[in-house]
Amino acid sequence: MGTNARQSARPRKANAKGVPFSQNPVLAMKLSAWRSRLVMFVLFVSFVALVGRAFWLQAMSTDFLQKQGESRYARTLELPATRGKITDRNGLVLASSIPVKAIWAIPEDVLAEPKEKIQQLASLLEMSEAELRKKLDSDRQFVYLKRQVEQSASDKIEALKINGVETRREYKRYYPEGDTMAHVVGFTNVEDAGQEGMELADQSELAGKLGSRRVIKDRLGHIVEDLRAINEPHDGKELTLSIDSKIQYLAYAQLKETLAKFKAKAGGVVVVDVQTGEILALANLPSYNPNDRSVLTGAQLRNRVMTDAYEPGSVMKPFTVSLALETNRVRPETVFQTGREMSVGPAFIHDAHESSALTVAQIIEKSSNIGTAKIALMMPAQEMWELFTKVGFGQAPKFDFPGTATGRMRNFKTWRPIEQATMAYGQGITASTIQLAHAYTVFARDGELIPLSLKKLDQPPVGERIFSVNTAQTMRMMLETVTGPEGSAIKARVPGYRVAGKTGTAYKVEHGLYVKKYIASFCGFAPVSNPRIIVAVMVDEPDPSGPHFGGLVAAPLFSSITANALRTLNVPPDTTVTSVLPDNGMGDIM
Amino acid sequence: MSGRLNVVLLIALLGCALVLVKTQYQARHLFIEVERSQTEARQLEVEWSQLQLDQSNLGKHERIQASAIKDLNMVPVTAERTQYLTINGKNNEQ
Repeated sequence: MGTNARQSARPRKANAKGVPFSQNPVLAMKLSAWRSRLVMFVLFVSFVALVGRAFWLQAMSTDFLQKQGESRYARTLELPATRGKITDRNGLVLASSIPVKAIWAIPEDVLAEPKEKIQQLASLLEMSEAELRKKLDSDRQFVYLKRQVEQSASDKIEALKINGVETRREYKRYYPEGDTMAHVVGFTNVEDAGQEGMELADQSELAGKLGSRRVIKDRLGHIVEDLRAINEPHDGKELTLSIDSKIQYLAYAQLKETLAKFKAKAGGVVVVDVQTGEILALANLPSYNPNDRSVLTGAQLRNRVMTDAYEPGSVMKPFTVSLALETNRVRPETVFQTGREMSVGPAFIHDAHESSALTVAQIIEKSSNIGTAKIALMMPAQEMWELFTKVGFGQAPKFDFPGTATGRMRNFKTWRPIEQATMAYGQGITASTIQLAHAYTVFARDGELIPLSLKKLDQPPVGERIFSVNTAQTMRMMLETVTGPEGSAIKARVPGYRVAGKTGTAYKVEHGLYVKKYIASFCGFAPVSNPRIIVAVMVDEPDPSGPHFGGLVAAPLFSSITANALRTLNVPPDTTVTSVLPDNGMGDIM
Repeated sequence: MSGRLNVVLLIALLGCALVLVKTQYQARHLFIEVERSQTEARQLEVEWSQLQLDQSNLGKHERIQASAIKDLNMVPVTAERTQYLTINGKNNEQ
């Protein structure tokens, strides 16, 4: 036991020499120092590389990486903005945008789908399968299958879950009033941009501004958080027109009737509120349905009231005569020898109804060309030119509407006497119906000219004085006689109201020559005691074999439109009902 | 002493962390709620536009006149058959 303990206390010996194992010379390695240093160095370099990489990721390419990361959870959403509505003065909607879908496809993917699905898709798109396949037969990656598809149909298409068929949100514009209002409101194209009428004139205001927002979406596509402040979309501004849709409809319907009755080619009507210059109705024929524009002709699109300049004819006479009255060159009772014909230079002027002598008042009443020419030749050309220019002839109308005509009026320096004479009664000068209605505000408003507006106004605009109150009122009385028993337009009368106005019949000019085609017009206002509306009507090419003079074609149209408009506006009558129906045998009961 | 303070602070920290988790959770729920309401508001707006259009469509004067004449046997008013009442009591009648 004792021996054992002693033995175990001694260190183990590998051999007889008693050298401990760890110091065995065989085990001793002779390693050179550089090897360990090399390892140290490699480790050090690796650490430097790691630090460098970390620095690179954190400091140098951090933007790129963050962007990459964000693109995996953050999405930018486009926030749609609706185009503004257009309403009439009473808030009735004339144009409104409803969201619809555009259906587009990746042809390759769709064609790989089973046949039944493609058939179903075709029937939902309301086209034949062959048609659909033709559309899909394309190398492109993006093909519109159909645009402006209503929500209900597009929902069904989405439910089919066809690979490669996608939808995109867009808007469709609806025009509930259709053809009645087409020329005023205009229309937009599939991209929701205005093409005609007020849609074009007010495009920048009506168009909305798209917004956007950056959000985090979760795995299921729910929005979890906003990443930054929302860039709010701005809907287009609502546009309130000055149009009264009831008067508009009545004017349109009456115009339609008149055109059918006189077999005329086209026509236009404008009704203006005398107090504010607002246009209450503006109708043209032929018209079109803005909801379905698959077949459209230029003639249908034309807003004749605005774009057609023609020789206004006798409608111009009141301006010439008023200028003479204003400058005290004539008085209403001044007598002019009219006679059979009048020669100005080498040319002759005739009257439709021959007379020997007429007072100034009668010249207006009977619409005498000779009398008007005689009055005009008393005045220098410059004065007439200045007046015509001031009331807007030969000038672009001051309101914003596409395609308005300026009309033609040459500079007074080039006027020959015969031209001055004919311009005095509306030949050799052109103007649009809207220009005539505008110019007539001078008579209806006691000598003041006010700008017209197609938008509803909050307050009436400031007028510009052209004539004295006295001149304007005198002219009003003269114009009233036009619709009197001796006048040229007795058919313009309206039961219950005193009306005043002037007829016009102009020959059309084709290739520089007058041809046997006419434009019958009437421009007038009512009630005379306190004018409320100006109505200008124009009928283009009434059948020349039937009645085609302004007094027979345009005057009755003026009468019916004025009667309806005054009733709609609740204007109290200013005369007895029967006094305007001279021979109905009922007498005056009031 | 300092050991006990640490424990208190640790518990407070844990509490705060849990409250934060809960609040964040609620915030997201509310956010989704807001989103849903906004979508609904947009939907209603579209519906309203549609109804306004319908109103215009049904209230067209053309349609009203046609049905007044055809279905209700009405005739257009004329001045001869109108009794005008003026404010000062005089009645201006035909």
